[in-house]
Amino acid sequence: MTTAPEVNSLIPTYTDAPATDVVHVRGGSLNAVEISAWFGSNKVLEKVSLEMPANTVTALIGPSGCGKSTFLRILNRMHELVPSAKLSGQVLLDGDDIYDPGHRITETRKRIGMVFQKPNPFPAMSIADNVTAGLKLTGTKIGKSDREALIERSLSRAGLWKEVKDRLKEPGSALSGGQQQRLCIARSLAVEPEVLLMDEPCSALDPTSTRRVEETIHEIKDQVTVVIVTHNMQQAARVSQQCAFFLAQLGTPGDIVEAGPTVDIFGNPKDPRTEDYVNGRFG
Amino acid sequence: MTALMDPPSTPSAPEPTPRVEDVPRSIDPGLPRSDKVFFGVSRAIGYSVFVLMGAIGLFLGLQSIPTFKRYGLGFLTESQWQPEKDILGISAVLVGTFTVALVAMVIAFPLALATALYISEYAPAKFKSFLVSMVDLMAAIPSIVWGLWGFFLLQPKAIHVAHWLHTHMGWVPFFNVDTDPNAAPWAQSRYAASAFIAGIAVSMMVLPMAAAVMRQVFSQAPIGEREAALGLGSTKWGMIRAVVLPFGAGGIIGGTMLSLGRALGETIAVVLIISPAFDIKFKPLEIGTSTISALIAGRFGEATSAQLSALLTAGFVLFIITLIINTLAAMIVARSRSGAQE
Ligand SMILES: Nc1ncnc2c1ncn2[C@@H]1O[C@H](COP(=O)(O)OP(=O)(O)O)[C@@H](O)[C@H]1O
Ligand SMILES: [Mg+2]
Repeated sequence: MTTAPEVNSLIPTYTDAPATDVVHVRGGSLNAVEISAWFGSNKVLEKVSLEMPANTVTALIGPSGCGKSTFLRILNRMHELVPSAKLSGQVLLDGDDIYDPGHRITETRKRIGMVFQKPNPFPAMSIADNVTAGLKLTGTKIGKSDREALIERSLSRAGLWKEVKDRLKEPGSALSGGQQQRLCIARSLAVEPEVLLMDEPCSALDPTSTRRVEETIHEIKDQVTVVIVTHNMQQAARVSQQCAFFLAQLGTPGDIVEAGPTVDIFGNPKDPRTEDYVNGRFG
Repeated sequence: MTALMDPPSTPSAPEPTPRVEDVPRSIDPGLPRSDKVFFGVSRAIGYSVFVLMGAIGLFLGLQSIPTFKRYGLGFLTESQWQPEKDILGISAVLVGTFTVALVAMVIAFPLALATALYISEYAPAKFKSFLVSMVDLMAAIPSIVWGLWGFFLLQPKAIHVAHWLHTHMGWVPFFNVDTDPNAAPWAQSRYAASAFIAGIAVSMMVLPMAAAVMRQVFSQAPIGEREAALGLGSTKWGMIRAVVLPFGAGGIIGGTMLSLGRALGETIAVVLIISPAFDIKFKPLEIGTSTISALIAGRFGEATSAQLSALLTAGFVLFIITLIINTLAAMIVARSRSGAQE
């Protein structure tokens, strides 16, 4: 009897969830604390800290080679796939360190999805199978009608449903580059991540696909926290609420020069280097 | 110079547009001499391989004519090889050849697959090149050594395995041996010198090649797809099943068939281990079998010219079989995604 209130408090109450689109409604909050990173003995990030609040879009900007991708890959434990890679610091997902030995790495990556620079659908799988690949890979069972609903919802969220709904059985590799990237976004969304990391997702896309991806980001940010690396200043300004400017001075590890609301970074930067960069004067 | 200073005779006349023929034109500038020499030499070497293959096939084919004239298709269906009675046929040795190869592949395939997967996916980076060179070293062991190993070291152990298989699975004809497995002192010699033991020795010989081909294609599986799977929360094994194995499927099949081709022709280890017998039987655990190459090696020295032709005909049949298998293997590898080198 005495445990009842505790149990109740553990059950989240989703009051403002749209009736048709419920799985979870809140994105997770990410907090990177004093992250340093190495490749072998080459230090590429030094004590970088950044808060990425739930349900906001954080844009990471900065010149090439300053460690944005490395930082992003540390946020869902992809960094350690490189054999020589090392890191220090903490990444807190809703307050828990994802590098804590008690956390399963597969569970962490499922909760924090990733979209890569180069579209990477599974070429041997159909479009539909690509969307549900994450469920299969994580051993999540799903009924046939639920599966069809999930495919439609994920592809719709990624802005691809209308284009592919009549060809779901075709291989994923038969799509154009822009469509492939949106398929990859749908695939990530299908496992209902709390955070979605995107590493220059539009750098290889045509303008129409780029606009679709930006629309998708707008639509999903109520359910998913988004962190996006982009080289396109207009894109950063359009999609993000918060912005972090990375810079690696010659021969030194990368660091965040300035982070804050996007309007301030673009309209009223505190650091002259930020001002130069967002106005296209270097990098 | 003068042309520039001369006043134009017809100042307003426009430069005439060159007339363009509406036919395909040659835009090939031709090759520089050094490239021509290089191409010529390498093409000659490439063709000479074909010529050599053709010549061998032609030679064997011509040598087979007298045999086929004399024995007809009976040469393929007769099981006995008794030159003194003028009975010659290769059906028993064909069955033996495939039985030894089958045993070899059943053992080599899973070992090669596991070895290749371990080296390309699981072995720590430092350990990897060491393992690769160990597998290469295994390929460099001469087959006579594998034969001796099979005869002296493997056989005394393997007969117990064969006996165990017979005792527990003897109701399957394939595992049967013509003796009572439960007799008080069981007949050890009935299990020796068999296709099973020869097959194990051959499997050790073909394993390195199969493992090398598989490892090569596994290591080419695209990093983008690997990371996509892992990024979705897949385990390593899940990633291997979703990305590495489908990508490497062509290499797995091709590598297996290439080693099958080798297993079919393996000679010296088989000669050392088996005790020759010419019955058509599907009992690999039982003593006695023969293969085409073992037959040729065993009878070559004492052969009369008619028998020599018969042995070369047997060789011709083996040549054709291996040619077909290797060609199929090459086609599968080339058509697969991993072999196409996009
Ligand atoms: N796999 C790797 N191995 C070694 N060094 C790497 C690797 N990936 C990136 N680096 C180095 O880390 C630094 C940061 O790279 P990256 O994070 O990709 O920068 P960005 O995404 O901002 O362009 C660069 O100096 C790069 O050379
Ligand atoms: Mg990058």
